[in-house]
Amino acid sequence: MAKDIFVFVELKEGAVRKVSLELLSKGKEIAGHFSSSLYAVLIGHNVKGIAATVQPYSDKVIVIDNEGLAEYRWDTYASVLEGILRKYNPYAVLGGSTVTGKDLFPRLAARFGSAIVSDAVGIDFHDSGIKIKKPLFGGKVISWITCSEDSAIFITFRPNSFGIEKGSLNGEVIEEQFEAAKDPKMNLAGTEKHVSEKVDLQEADFIICGGRGMKGPEHFQVLEEIAGIMGGRVGASRAVVDSKWREYEDQVGKSGKTVSPKLYIGCGISGALHHTMGMDTSKVIVAINKDPNAPIFHYADYGIVDDAFAVLPVLREALKKTREEI
Amino acid sequence: MNILIFIKQVADTEARIIIKGDHKSLEIENKYNMNFFDEFAVEEAMRIKEKNKDVQITVCTIGSQKAVEALRTAIAMGADRAFLLDGSKAATNDPLAISRILSAFAKKEGFDMILCGRQAIDDESANVGAMAAEFLGIPHVSAILKMEVVDGNAVKVENEIEGGRGIFEVKLPALFTTQKGLNEPRVPLITGVMKAMKASIPVVDPATLDIPQEAVAAEASKVTILSYESPQERPPVKIIEGETPEEKVKNLVKALKEDAKVL
Repeated sequence: MAKDIFVFVELKEGAVRKVSLELLSKGKEIAGHFSSSLYAVLIGHNVKGIAATVQPYSDKVIVIDNEGLAEYRWDTYASVLEGILRKYNPYAVLGGSTVTGKDLFPRLAARFGSAIVSDAVGIDFHDSGIKIKKPLFGGKVISWITCSEDSAIFITFRPNSFGIEKGSLNGEVIEEQFEAAKDPKMNLAGTEKHVSEKVDLQEADFIICGGRGMKGPEHFQVLEEIAGIMGGRVGASRAVVDSKWREYEDQVGKSGKTVSPKLYIGCGISGALHHTMGMDTSKVIVAINKDPNAPIFHYADYGIVDDAFAVLPVLREALKKTREEI
Repeated sequence: MNILIFIKQVADTEARIIIKGDHKSLEIENKYNMNFFDEFAVEEAMRIKEKNKDVQITVCTIGSQKAVEALRTAIAMGADRAFLLDGSKAATNDPLAISRILSAFAKKEGFDMILCGRQAIDDESANVGAMAAEFLGIPHVSAILKMEVVDGNAVKVENEIEGGRGIFEVKLPALFTTQKGLNEPRVPLITGVMKAMKASIPVVDPATLDIPQEAVAAEASKVTILSYESPQERPPVKIIEGETPEEKVKNLVKALKEDAKVL
């Protein structure tokens, strides 16, 4: 049987999320190895126009466009996906380890009695199948996991686990219809979305984090300016969130978000395990702290031992200049 | 109202973890806690109990005898009873097996509401809640931030959704996973701790539960850990030289551009 790979395409405000393009890029490599097909699964309302975004990355694009799918809910999305998966019987289904992925994938894996591995960061080939790389204990241990292949394998990956390859395919669009069955016991009474121009914290390529050394919420302004210049996001340590200087959604670390941007800069952060566990998979880590013994320097690639308040305005101007050069 | 809470005992974030020579097993320093996100579940149950009549709070976990400590913590916080589901013969690395066992136990004990943490902080998997709900055929809401019991049969919850909050009205029985921000978990009082020390905690053999035993046995695990390895170590930090902040920043930007190639 062909080992077809499916990627659940996540949308945000009508656009394809970066993590989905990362998974399609990796999915192409896996499907190539197995000489099978890569399917992008696009679910929602008024999404037909979005298919063009994923076509270059996929062999086939399955589109289910239905009014009942306008707002994400696990019940409707799982019922539609169940229909697709029963019809196409893929080898593996990939999704992002995001708020939505974490809600939807376990429900489906239980329904199929399937293997599920979540919050993975890598994938490789093993025997005639695959093995999945997953950090444990906040990154202190890396595990490699194989899965039973008797039904579709469900895997969610952390955003920024894979690069996006330039797509050169032109996936055939297949429109399908499956019922979006609602659980009558659950009523979505409303949603409150932050209207925010901010990049998603987990998907950001650049994160600048402030710790207690920032001394107060007003000093995060310079971090916001730097994040703005870099098209990234401001993060915060637990101490900062607990002191209500920043919102919980900004928290990086064990009880907050796990991030792996291309460039992470920590300012006035001591580097408690709690925090480093949430950022130590970042590609390049810079620490700015006036205490040369701060533990954050054990995790950093580059360190500046100095007062963050003296360094940050200079850094802002220097980064602005690098952006202007591009 | 019967509230059932699934908890997990996890290694403390500070615990030393050693990968054994065969790369197949781990040695974990003897420092364990109740999972961080489960504390919000126990606290929320306590708040419901304090506001409503006839609420019984039952906690359970799957694990070794050691996991009794986490159950005692829940009793010290105010839970009424606790059960240890013996995990010695079960596929405890497999979320499918764990949720099958937990849901079979829930069915046997009966419940109106199930609470559990949004994810365990050791494997960050976030699977068992939604999977157990699927096996029980009940709705779930992930990562709740606010809960209000409307009457004995329904609750209104707010949860974390992509880019904001969702508001759901859910008929019970249902399962909810708890997120930081829901409440401030209490520190057990000494009287609670005394009560917890004395509490008898029955051990339940999963073989006595109504589940296809071949589906939850260790050898039936759908996932197999091939190997453990240490994370790639970062080279030692390069401290950026310079007399002034200006010089340091200049040298940092140069390094990020030319060596790390991230600018």
